[in-house]
Amino acid sequence: MELILQSIVNGLIQGGFFALFAVGLVLIFGVMGVVNFAHGELVMVGAYTVWVLHAQNGVPFIPVVMIAIIVVTAIGLLMERFLFRPTCNDPLAGLICSIGILFILQVLATVVGGDGPSKQVPPPYHGTLVLFDFLHVPYQRVFSFFISAAGLGTLWYFLTRTKFGWALRAVAQDREASALQGININRISMIAIGVGAALAGLAGALMAPLANINPHMGHNVIITAFIVTIVGGVGSLSGAVMAAVIYAMFHTFITVYFGGVIATICGLLLMVVVLIIKPTGIMGVKVSE
Amino acid sequence: MKITRRDFLKKTATGVVLAGVATGLPVNVFANEKTVKIGMNIPMTGDYAPWGLPGLYGCEIIADDINAAGGVKIGNTNYKIEMVSFDHAYDTEKTIQGYKKLVLEDDVKMVMMLGGSTVSSILPWAQRKKMLTTTLLPSDITPKSEYVIATCESHPLYNVTGVEWLAENFPEAKTAVIVTNNDVEWGLQSASTYKAAFEVAGIKVVDVNLHGFDVTDFAPIVSSVLAKKPDIFCMATSFYTTPLMEQLYHQGYKGKIISCTLDYYNEIIAKTSKEFVNGTIFQFPDFDDPALLQEGIHFPDPNGFDAKFRKNHPNDWSAVAWEYPAILLNWIEGAKAAGSVEPTEVLKALKSNKKPNFVFGGGRWWGSELWGLDNAIVGRWPVVVIEDGKARIKEFRSLTDWLDKNNDILKKNMKALGLRTV
Repeated sequence: MELILQSIVNGLIQGGFFALFAVGLVLIFGVMGVVNFAHGELVMVGAYTVWVLHAQNGVPFIPVVMIAIIVVTAIGLLMERFLFRPTCNDPLAGLICSIGILFILQVLATVVGGDGPSKQVPPPYHGTLVLFDFLHVPYQRVFSFFISAAGLGTLWYFLTRTKFGWALRAVAQDREASALQGININRISMIAIGVGAALAGLAGALMAPLANINPHMGHNVIITAFIVTIVGGVGSLSGAVMAAVIYAMFHTFITVYFGGVIATICGLLLMVVVLIIKPTGIMGVKVSE
Repeated sequence: MKITRRDFLKKTATGVVLAGVATGLPVNVFANEKTVKIGMNIPMTGDYAPWGLPGLYGCEIIADDINAAGGVKIGNTNYKIEMVSFDHAYDTEKTIQGYKKLVLEDDVKMVMMLGGSTVSSILPWAQRKKMLTTTLLPSDITPKSEYVIATCESHPLYNVTGVEWLAENFPEAKTAVIVTNNDVEWGLQSASTYKAAFEVAGIKVVDVNLHGFDVTDFAPIVSSVLAKKPDIFCMATSFYTTPLMEQLYHQGYKGKIISCTLDYYNEIIAKTSKEFVNGTIFQFPDFDDPALLQEGIHFPDPNGFDAKFRKNHPNDWSAVAWEYPAILLNWIEGAKAAGSVEPTEVLKALKSNKKPNFVFGGGRWWGSELWGLDNAIVGRWPVVVIEDGKARIKEFRSLTDWLDKNNDILKKNMKALGLRTV
């Protein structure tokens, strides 16, 4: 019983991270139709920002998280303006551009951080929350979980309660009809990638004290993000959040009872099964021609 | 004799040119001095860089010291040593490319490598070119890999010394879990050795948890193995010692921790606490350890080397920082004995020495029992424990004694994990 409860807590925290970066990916794909392969590297840039400013130069953690969000958002906006917008009529070009950015960001990370071992960030919040004498949750993870939840809550409010959020959802549903309603597609695209990149930056910054930071850390992130996106339903934000929690729980429990290797295989199998049984994903909607 | 203005100018100019040439020539032209190139085909970027780059830094320190002292006399020639490196980033294609460059273009006399799939990829080349090649993984040795030797690290055999010491000093520890990455070159080799060592020590292994390289969160893995209530948590050449230690700390683990390596342990302390990391047992000393000053250690001024390394490269010390230099020192010994820098001659001289100078002493050629060829030097190996936040050697133990007694148990455990033995 203790192991089950500990695994549920581990799964929920993991789900929070998965949701943060998967939602950003979904947002960018939904609005711009671009599969952003560099999304994992945006997470990596967020983590590196924390390593450079907090671990190397002693800048307090909270301001550094804000700076990481700003830095990654700026990169996202530059990608939109100079890569995705000029190639918006060719989805393949956008994809290839994002792969190019992926490599550029990896090389830049090597230039900034040098070669050698993965970077480590000492956790700003030391210690462990112990509940009922057996549930152990590091304060750093508790903090990250609540910030992730707050970030996703803010996104939900933005999408459902603000004019820009409505416009963004409209563009995600039908670009042409939205344009005919007077919505500025370029501006909305910029907001979408800005928000998506900001979430990636936040995820990277929060993960930094908990992960091995290296130029290639985005690789695992993007694979997880794709699985979550496909399971949740491509283009569905609520689906991505739900799938993130389901996938994290699934992966955590399989790891605990059958091992990490089996968990990886089963995670991919889960995606395949969803694609066979419900190709649109858990919350995706079939669009007729 | 009449000297014309033209003659004067001609002779003066010739004299000036000759004098200039003579004074400008390097001294070594007159002293029968040459340069011998030693190659390093290692990962200097990417995930494996910590087990490559610090070794190059270490070798450069040793080579600079030797060169500053006038070089090394091999046969009748005085040689300066030049390190030539190639970054293969642990990619087999690049490894072959680098090996060819070092051998064909740079004319190196030995190629030092990390080991694993990168060494397998150049084996045919090493054989064809008869190029002396070194590895840190003696499991790379096959009955046909005549030119591949492991003169320093006998990964992961030395892990048995840590288990032996643990069992003697903490007899109350009776159960263990092993966690590692599921690769054939590092994780499984190490896991099988630890399993054998625990079996010999009478410690029951209650779980072997193998994971891939795609793990982003170690909390579930640690929760899973801690549910077995182990007395000992063993990290078998894990690439993830920091996140594993972090999870052990947060999940309140109180038992003994044993690991093959504990590179960058200061970062682990920063992420957990000194009190938590204290007592962790592993196998790779810092070289400022006073225990390295005792007799039988074949490494010149280890404390000075450590100080110089950390001054030049403050954050780069890892397990390999002293290993590649120790191999370089072995080579120098072999070349001196051979009176030649030619790879086949040096290999012959090294192999003919039945009591080679192993870095920690007590060395002998070994390997045919496990891999079909005596091309690895095994000897004493240190058991290192973190004390007050610092790695300290507790004891040197004989690996050869353990192997002589327990080779069959080791082979059985290797076969159980599908590993190659003779």
